[in-house]
Amino acid sequence: MKRRLLCSVALALSLSGCATIESFEWPSFSSPDLSEYTERPRSYLEICLEHDFLLRVKPWERAVLSREDMAWEPDPLEAARTSHTYFSKEASMPGGSAGGGGCGCN
Amino acid sequence: MRRQGGSKDSATLRALTTSALALSGLARVAAADTPIDDIQTSYSYSTYSEDDLPNSKGLPISEHSRYEVKTQQARLAAPITDHIDFSLDVTHEKMSGASPWYNVPDAAGAPIQVMSGPTIEDERNDILLKSSYYLENARMGLIGGYSKENDYKSMNFGWDGETHFNEKNTTLSGGLGLSFDEIDPTDADTEPTRPVHETKQTYSLNVGLAQILNRRSLVQSSLSYAFGNGYLSDPYKEVYQKGAIYHPDERPDTRHAFSWLTRYARHIEEVEATVHLSYQYYWDTWGVSSHTIEAAWYQSFGDSLQITPSIRYYTQNEADFYVSYLPLSGPTDDHFSSDYRLSTYGALGFGIKAEYTFRTPWVTDIQWKLKAAYERYISAGDLAWDSPAVEAPGLVDFKVLSFGISAVF
Repeated sequence: MKRRLLCSVALALSLSGCATIESFEWPSFSSPDLSEYTERPRSYLEICLEHDFLLRVKPWERAVLSREDMAWEPDPLEAARTSHTYFSKEASMPGGSAGGGGCGCN
Repeated sequence: MRRQGGSKDSATLRALTTSALALSGLARVAAADTPIDDIQTSYSYSTYSEDDLPNSKGLPISEHSRYEVKTQQARLAAPITDHIDFSLDVTHEKMSGASPWYNVPDAAGAPIQVMSGPTIEDERNDILLKSSYYLENARMGLIGGYSKENDYKSMNFGWDGETHFNEKNTTLSGGLGLSFDEIDPTDADTEPTRPVHETKQTYSLNVGLAQILNRRSLVQSSLSYAFGNGYLSDPYKEVYQKGAIYHPDERPDTRHAFSWLTRYARHIEEVEATVHLSYQYYWDTWGVSSHTIEAAWYQSFGDSLQITPSIRYYTQNEADFYVSYLPLSGPTDDHFSSDYRLSTYGALGFGIKAEYTFRTPWVTDIQWKLKAAYERYISAGDLAWDSPAVEAPGLVDFKVLSFGISAVF
């Protein structure tokens, strides 16, 4: 319990920039990245993410997660149409995706 | 499965299992960072129709029937190389009917809706192209689109991307979008309140974090910011001032909007169903804030049939400059609008969708899906979290009926 609390504090510090995230790396353009398998200094963030309270789901345990109906938007056409309808009939501006433009409907 | 402390042993194990998975082809299921495997095509036809304005809310001599939109959508998505795929979305819409114009007060001072004549006839064509590039542990996408109506043009661009960490249990995603729009209202020469030519730009930014909770559930939370700049008013709406004076719709030239969306998905193996829940809080500098709650239940019946009922609740409070109509003394502010969409109201939506999946292995192995869906939407002042003192008379109720077919090769 105490460790969980400490980890939460460390996570908050890391995210807020109060502690350095030494190991953050931008995604590598070269394949495969072997640095993942070597020892190197680890940040609070990394140590916390490795802690037990975050249950890891292994690649071979993801049959259910890869179901079509587990996608955030299982039907792209329907998602585009409904978000366009709500955008044109409600005051809220749409958020959450990068594509698409305005229309004379609003 | 609990992780043992030592990192070297588990790293070796991980490397071994990764290569074993790659050999068996199972890695596809695990790794999202590969282009789509198949060619996917889909088509959908839908009709959107608004209920007539009730007699009590509209001026007796004015039009009571409202808007109708027939939409056709087509989509093609396919892999190009081992690292790149693309999707193309084409939309054609045919709009017709009447829409709310301005409000006048009745004898008791309550606002009554005046509609435009049933004169609106327009078409919208929209094309959206997206291409994604996949890296070892990330995806990057570029988006470009163009939309055209008689009186409106929009050119838009976007970039989005995502990367994973924590053994691909956590996904960080982000995106930005730009839209450059031009408005050329029809009948600007005969309607003095309409501008001839205007422009507006919208810039948006979002960042999200998704986490796998266990083998059956996921959660995602994202923050979005959008900035609208330029002509943000509606050229086809007017504001009535007592004494028969008509003003154009006047909204601020800028709008900053923030939203926070959290979604949760869980599959329930015992009943062969997946539940989706989402909540969005929205706030902008026009004084509008809103809450949206959505729930959907994807119920499978064997491998071929899925029935999905869904429900949505939306509530918003009015923009600072919303007025039913202006008093005899005239406006007290530079900005005013009688657009019902900027008033305080709440809305309930109900949907039901059926999807039938089958294969035709005797032709080529194509997976087909047939879809039919119905949605009902009702809105009212009383449905708002905080009911307004005066309800906007133009609030809309509509239904959407849609049919679709898709094929995966």
